[in-house]
Amino acid sequence: MIRYVLKRLLFMIPTILITSFLIYFAMDLAGGDPVNTILPENATTEQKEALREEMGLNDPFLIRYARYMGGLVTGDMGESYVTGIDVFDRFMQCLPMTLALGGTALILACIISVPLGIYTALNQNTWKDTTGMVFALFGVSMPNFWLGLMLMLVFAVNLNWLPSQGADGPKYLVLPAVTVGLGLAALITRTTRSAMLDVIRADYMTTAKAKGASRRRVIYYHGLKNAMIPIVTAIGMQFSLVMTGSALAEVVFSWPGIGRLVFESIDKRDIPTVTGSIILCCILMSIINLVVDLIYAFLDPRIKAQYSNKG
Amino acid sequence: MSEKNLEKTTAAAVEQERDHILDIKDLVVHFETDDGCVCAINGLNLSVRREKTLGLVGETGAGKTTTALSILNLVPSPPGVIKGGSIVLDGKDVLQMSEKELEHMRGNEVAMIFQDPMTALNPVMTVGEQIAESVMLHENLSQKDAFERAKEMLKMVGIAESRAYDYPHQFSGGMRQRVVIAIALACRPHFLIADEPTTALDVTIQAQVLDLMKELIDNNHMSMLLITHDLGVVAEVCDDVAVMYAGRIVEVGTTDEVFNDTRHPYTEGLFDSLPNLKEQGEELVPIKGMMPDPMHLPEGCTFAPRCPYATEACTQSVPELRHVNGSHYVACHAYDDPSFRLRRNANG
Amino acid sequence: MNETVKVADNLQEYKGRSLAQETWHRLLKNKGAVVGMIFMVLLFILACSGDLLYDYDTEIAGMIMSEAREAPSLAHPFGTDQLGRDVMARVIYGSRYSLIIGVGSVALGLIVGLITGSLAGFYGGGWDQLVMRANDILYSIPNIMLAVVIVQLLGTSILSLVIALSISSATSFAKITRASVMTIRDQEYVESAYAMGLPTWKIILKHIIPNCLSPIIVQVTLSIGSNIISASSLSFLGVGVPIPTPEWGTMLADGRLYIRSEPWMCIFPGLAIMLTVLALNLMGDGLRDALDPKLKR
Repeated sequence: MIRYVLKRLLFMIPTILITSFLIYFAMDLAGGDPVNTILPENATTEQKEALREEMGLNDPFLIRYARYMGGLVTGDMGESYVTGIDVFDRFMQCLPMTLALGGTALILACIISVPLGIYTALNQNTWKDTTGMVFALFGVSMPNFWLGLMLMLVFAVNLNWLPSQGADGPKYLVLPAVTVGLGLAALITRTTRSAMLDVIRADYMTTAKAKGASRRRVIYYHGLKNAMIPIVTAIGMQFSLVMTGSALAEVVFSWPGIGRLVFESIDKRDIPTVTGSIILCCILMSIINLVVDLIYAFLDPRIKAQYSNKG
Repeated sequence: MSEKNLEKTTAAAVEQERDHILDIKDLVVHFETDDGCVCAINGLNLSVRREKTLGLVGETGAGKTTTALSILNLVPSPPGVIKGGSIVLDGKDVLQMSEKELEHMRGNEVAMIFQDPMTALNPVMTVGEQIAESVMLHENLSQKDAFERAKEMLKMVGIAESRAYDYPHQFSGGMRQRVVIAIALACRPHFLIADEPTTALDVTIQAQVLDLMKELIDNNHMSMLLITHDLGVVAEVCDDVAVMYAGRIVEVGTTDEVFNDTRHPYTEGLFDSLPNLKEQGEELVPIKGMMPDPMHLPEGCTFAPRCPYATEACTQSVPELRHVNGSHYVACHAYDDPSFRLRRNANG
Repeated sequence: MNETVKVADNLQEYKGRSLAQETWHRLLKNKGAVVGMIFMVLLFILACSGDLLYDYDTEIAGMIMSEAREAPSLAHPFGTDQLGRDVMARVIYGSRYSLIIGVGSVALGLIVGLITGSLAGFYGGGWDQLVMRANDILYSIPNIMLAVVIVQLLGTSILSLVIALSISSATSFAKITRASVMTIRDQEYVESAYAMGLPTWKIILKHIIPNCLSPIIVQVTLSIGSNIISASSLSFLGVGVPIPTPEWGTMLADGRLYIRSEPWMCIFPGLAIMLTVLALNLMGDGLRDALDPKLKR
């Protein structure tokens, strides 16, 4: 198992290298000449050329990439041309805000969706099931940022219960977290329900009943233990969505997280910040994906066996 | 209560009941789906004698598994509905039991072995845990003691004790079926239902598993309902045979009676479609046609459309089980004519 | 007609319907799916007739400042925006963009995903490794960030949005195709096709792809919906369809600034997105049930 973790960590390095290379390459092409951004409009060609030389912009692309990745290891990803703030520091400043928002939303989503998914599956084809599934269907059909706008309209604008913009205490977290959480909850409810329906029909459930286990025990012990695997898979797959959802909610509610950082930087044509943030996001995602995979192994002995065989 | 039931409350019937561990009377089970009602079991009568093995034979879709699940009151509902009848197990009607009584009965008094060992075991629990669970549900044992019992059970079915910590996916099909048997026998039930226990296994493994079951049944003085479509298995293991067609019993008797004095045309058809090692030249005679769609059963005798002996009378009413001799019964209108003989018997 | 479908036909014969007809019949029984289909047909007609109903330069992209920010009324059922344009006209006209982007990105993703996925699933080995590693890499980039990078590279336009969204669709199609191809590859009827001497590409095209169609059909329907949402999200963030195009997400980005005083500018484009995606999801769920009746969700 430990060897597997090490192997996976080792595999992450080429993935991160390729990902960051692609992103750096694309952003380098897209970014245009930063010298025009930094220097005033009336700067002479000589001044521009001198600055280019000083910043190492005249070096070949691969050398600049190598220098960039070298900096990444030490947490030095350059400074914003626009604001002059260190990119890595700025990202790290925003990261806790996004983690708080995404984490709260995910916990909220799990609290709502897992019990609801099980409940609807157990009451399949009754009005309880239908009601739950209609809500979930609306939830997945709604653009999450629009749900945020509508929540803002009702709870901040009309009822004036909650603040609509900024991050000045836990009260400010409520609306963005509920927005992201409800969207995720709808998705996870649907997966949980169908995972539970699959499990309910499985033969080993009949075996458990035939042993004399009570309905409760059969469902919550035998059933849930198996259904947890697809449910965790579903939740694990949503991390990309948590990030997307958070980014949108951050923009809607002016929550100072990574999403807002990226989109504000795009507006300002602040290329180093955009490139750095996206690369750091990808590294974060790789780590999260690894953790999710390890949780599967913990839940499913079949996968665990696979790992120990492969070493 | 009808007159018929009153009549039966004679001394002989009481004695017979004491002699039977299981008595199913007039059982009707339907599956009510969106597309219509599937009549799986339509007035089934069946008894299993104490410490004997009854083989329940029939084609796929005859309602054998539904019968087995009914005995444990585990017919999946919805869509399954037990419409009527009684299933008396050791003097108590399973269909009248409370949920508590049912839980006590399942696994403890009656245990079941399932058809497909690949799916019958919970993939995320070790086999030891799964056997021990059965013990802990019914006996006041600590987790540790229950697990010790589980190891004993594994040894009994011929698996090394150390493998109690392994998961089902680490076992082969035959080994898994042994585990399923160990789970079933863990609480030493009096009655065992085996639903095609060898169908999913290789032929060589089949014999091993059957021998093991036979041995365990005999050693523990258990009764068994063995569901199978393999007449060879019946000949080897069973004391009695019941032949099932479209949710009803069409012929029942001791293995000897049914095999050597076959009475029902369907049973004859089953034998004729078996290859015979002794007379290899003989051509196989398949039963023509298909099992009727249980959503639209034919009027009268359900076998009539496929029966080579069918007459007008067969489509008029459902034949009742009639006494032949000894414990041999058959449900066929043809015997209204006392001189009627099946071809098989006429030639032999 | 290929062999396998013929076999399936024979199985269905006693009911007198082919597999496709059977599926269609089951789909029609599903009320939600029927409602979804009717909605999509109507939307398609509206999207096609947008130019007949409205004049782009004056009514959609122009401005009539005298009528700015009017609340919903008989003349303007959805109200007007900050430049005096009728919100309903823009919502109706904008349906074409959502449909084009949704369908276009899924179609592009489907082609790429089908080809790479079936090659990976069929040949395994090096191909498989290559495709799966590429998928892993794309998987580690959050969809929205990937779209940002691509739109940055290609500039904000409908085409670059379509390309950006098609990449994430392609990964999911490749995964589904690969998984189904791998299970079907080893089935006996494929072996028998080999034994008859069919060339590999014919086997893939005639025997393997038709048999992994059901999960793909369902995924196509659901992906169109989710790509419409993604497109509007990107437009909302300012990296999608540029103004003054009346794309629903772009309209929401505009309306967001006026949510306190003129909420209708936000409500109606959002409702339009939701109803469209809802219709697609209803169809997708219905198709899944119809194609796999055993599951009966």
